[in-house]
Order: sequence, then structure tokens, then C-alpha cells
Amino acid sequence: MSEVSTGTGLHTEDMTLNVGPQHPSTHGVLRFVVKTDGEVINEAIPDVGYLHRSIEKIGEKCTWHGYVPYTDRADYLAAMFANQGFCMAAERLGNVEVPPRGEYCRVIACELNRVASHLIAVGTFGQDIGAITPFLHALRERESINDLMEEICGARLTYNYLRIGGVGYDIKPETCGRIAAFLDHFEPIVDEYNRLLSNNKIFIERLANVAVISKEDALQYNLVGPNLRASGVQWDIRRDIPYSVYPELDFEVPVGQGERGTQGDSYDRYYVRIRELLESCRILRQCLDKMPDGPALAKVARKFKPPAGETYVRIEAPRGDMGYYVVSDGSEYPYRVRIRTGSFTAMSIIDKISPGIMVADLIALIASLDVDAPEIDR
Amino acid sequence: MSEVITYFQNIKDTVSSIFEGMSITFSHFVRKPSTVQYPDRIAQQVQDTLPLRYRGILEVDMDICTGCLACERVCPINCIAIGIERNAETNQRDFTLFDIDICKCMYCGLCMEACPTGSIRHTQEFEGACNNPAGLVRHFVTESVPLYKPKKGGETEPRMIQKVDIGKRYLDEIAEPEN
Repeated sequence: MSEVSTGTGLHTEDMTLNVGPQHPSTHGVLRFVVKTDGEVINEAIPDVGYLHRSIEKIGEKCTWHGYVPYTDRADYLAAMFANQGFCMAAERLGNVEVPPRGEYCRVIACELNRVASHLIAVGTFGQDIGAITPFLHALRERESINDLMEEICGARLTYNYLRIGGVGYDIKPETCGRIAAFLDHFEPIVDEYNRLLSNNKIFIERLANVAVISKEDALQYNLVGPNLRASGVQWDIRRDIPYSVYPELDFEVPVGQGERGTQGDSYDRYYVRIRELLESCRILRQCLDKMPDGPALAKVARKFKPPAGETYVRIEAPRGDMGYYVVSDGSEYPYRVRIRTGSFTAMSIIDKISPGIMVADLIALIASLDVDAPEIDR
Repeated sequence: MSEVITYFQNIKDTVSSIFEGMSITFSHFVRKPSTVQYPDRIAQQVQDTLPLRYRGILEVDMDICTGCLACERVCPINCIAIGIERNAETNQRDFTLFDIDICKCMYCGLCMEACPTGSIRHTQEFEGACNNPAGLVRHFVTESVPLYKPKKGGETEPRMIQKVDIGKRYLDEIAEPEN
């Protein structure tokens, strides 16, 4: 505890402040123990574990097919990616080949999900900074995506759309038309967000040069996904360790360039997501054009028993590299499922970046990392 | 001097960007509203507007249920309970119990995919509020009913033809991914 003399015989003390577990800016049940000297933070320690639901242990008690709906709950804002990670791991263990149409259906569903997830990230970012209107604009568009998802797979949040060996239901041509119509409607809306939020002077002043994460720190602290790219590292699993049909698609990987301040500041982390929205739209359009005919699901036994072995699968989720380490002992149940998520590693850097910043900037830092409490604890 | 200029430039930028944002907000006066006034002030029931694939509360058509227990086995949380007993009088197997606990159900849709006749289906119904959890257990068997046995060469009774057809159509359109 640091004591500062005021020169009059009095002294000030550090104050310990609890941010959370129930706090609107922590995006779920997440607690920070913050030691402040007035308005300036000396130390901020994230305290995670409030949302632990032992999803990994449940994996050992479920059949391979029966575990897929549980993976939805690992990250409810991007359930499709959690499905894909586990399904890909099971396919790799069981040597199942996914038909091309199934792969395209997967990519379409995943990219739609990425747009929805980034809309939440962008919207809640504005809300945490104090701009409530953009949040409603973002959720309005997300609602259209939810309606599309409802048509594709029948659920709005916990999709359970992907199956081991493909997708549960084929995407009908009329749904493809609706997705294209949504993209036509959505792309101009991104410009609207820029006018509403990104170019707003108050928003820029709140974020530019705040909580700068350097390239080296980002790599050392194991940041992944948009947070890593905002610091200027060109790394995207979709491009660098390709999976599914991503090698056939043409897309760019947006990298933070210090748009309004330093490279790797909170504004860059925000703006990388805005640019990824447009990139996802580009991927979606290509997928809709290239979609081949044929079955969407390979024939997989109801009692799926992959041979004994282990595998690690990485996919690029909206919150970065999502990894599934799955071990099979040749039985009806997975022997071990381990899920590695981007939000958890993003927590570690808060301790490093927070000393010296203001309390209000801590909120900007947490919001810019786009952490999702259920994904931290699983 | 340059600090003074920056100061006024910042004020100008702030005010202009606020008006820029306001212009978008005001443009919504002339756009179509996207709000749905859910419980009462809606033109059409929400249930009717939902797509066919919507996974709502489960229902079972006991007349075409073969009692194969595929749904009970595939359910990851065991929310389906089926009881089958042999009837001493008719010497047939009868359903004595078919309960689905909607409280536990996570609407994953694995049971409807496993069903061979399409008798267990997700409906478009989603409003299930009630005062105690026991009210959310759906009982589909009130008195014991015999198991359905598919007739060779198709059904003859019009009522059964219709029911089998509904189940088949459901499987074709929604649950059967191979097609």
C-alpha cells in the first residue's frame, strides 16, 4: 500500500474498490479488484470463476452427438463457432469427411454469427462509453440476423446447427436470397455506425491513446483474434492455418493502424471489429455465389465411436483463437474435452495495462477487449 | 496561439459530430419502425410468423409413436420419460407414461431427428409461463394406449393417413438432413 504525504501531516491511502460481480460494464458476472489512488488505478486484478458451469466435465458424461448442444453454452454470443470447434475435432478423430455443401453452410452460418457477435461488441462498447443510441442500432440489425438464424436452424441464440459430419439442416435457396437481401441492407448501415459512433469526436477522445497494448505485449500476453490484430500483428487462423473452405475465399485481415492515435489503443480494437463486419459480409457474398449442390451432412453412425487418439483444433472465433483439445478412448463418450477461449487470455493483460490509467478508462479497456464472461469460465 | 485554435477546433468538431449523429437519429422518423409491441399490440400472433424450423415446445403425436425409445436415448439431459408395459388382456405393449419436462428441455432438436415416424416435433409455441415447475411437465399419456405399428402397404384409415403424412412431411422438411 503506497502512502502519499500531503505535506500537512495528513496522508492519503489507496482505496480498494470492487468493480462487479454485478456491474453493467463487466459484460456478465465478472469481478475486478481495483486499487485506486483517487481517480488513478494502481492495480486491477480480474477475479474470474463466477460463471463456471463445468462444461468440460459435462463433455465426459455426454455422447459425442449429445455434447454439441452443450458447446453452444460456452460462448452464447458466438455459439456457432463453439459448435464448429468441437465438430471439427470429432471429425478429425473419426476421419469423417464433410461434404462441400456442408462446409459452405457452416461458413455462412459462422460468418453471420460473427457479424452478430461483433455488433454486440460494437454496441456495448458505445454503451459503456456512454453512447446508448448506437447500442440500439446495433441490436436492431442483430435482430435481423437472429431471424435469419431462426430460418436456417430454428433457434435464435443456442443454435446447435452443426453436427458431426456437416450441418443439421440445409440452407434453402429462399433463405440464401434473404441473406443476400440482408447484406444489401446491412453494408450501408456500417457507414451509419461510422457516422454515429466511430467519427464522433467525444468517442474518439475517450478511446484514442487509451490503454495502448504494444505488439510485443500482445504476443507475450497471448492475446488472440481482433485484440491481437489491433496491435498490428497479422494473424488470423482462417488465413494462416486454414480450415473448412476459407482457402477458396478471398478476404482481407484487418489490422490496427493507429487510426486516431497510437497503434494498439482502444480505438484500434474497436475499429478492427468495424472493418471485420465488412469483411464478413464479403465472405458471405462469396459463399452464397459459390455454394455447390449436394448433401449437407455426411453419413455418421448414431453411435459415433471415433478410434482412440487425441487432437487439437483451432478456429477463429469472434473473440479470437478458440481451441478444442479432445481425447477419445474409442468409447461412446469423449475421454476429455478441453476448451481454450480468447476471452480468458484477454483477462491476463488487464493487470499489466491498468496501472496508471483512470477508472473510466478501465471500463473502456474491458469493453475494447470484448470479453464475454461465460466464455472466460466455461 | 495554436492551443487556442485547437481548443475551438475541438469544440467545433464535437458539436458537428453530435449533429451528424442526430441526423441519423432523426432520419428514423421517416423510416419503418422495427419495434414489435409483443404481447398485445401485434397484427398477427408471433407463433404464426415463426419459420417452420423454429424449435419451440415439444409435442408428441401418440397415435404414430412406435415406442422405439430413440428420443429418450438421444436426449442429452434425459428430459423425456417413457413407460411401456405389456397389457395382460390384449397381450399388446401399451404406453403408460410419456412425459416431457419442458423445464429441463434445452430445445436442441436431437430427439426429433432421431424419431423414425416424426411423431415428436417442435412446435411454434414458446409461451410456457406457469406458477410452478410441475406445470411445465407435459403429460402425453393420460390412459394407457397401444404402441403404433406401421402397417405393411401403408395406412388405410383416413385419419391415420393424415397423421402419418404430417410426420413424414415434418421429417422431410426439417429433421431429415440427408435429403
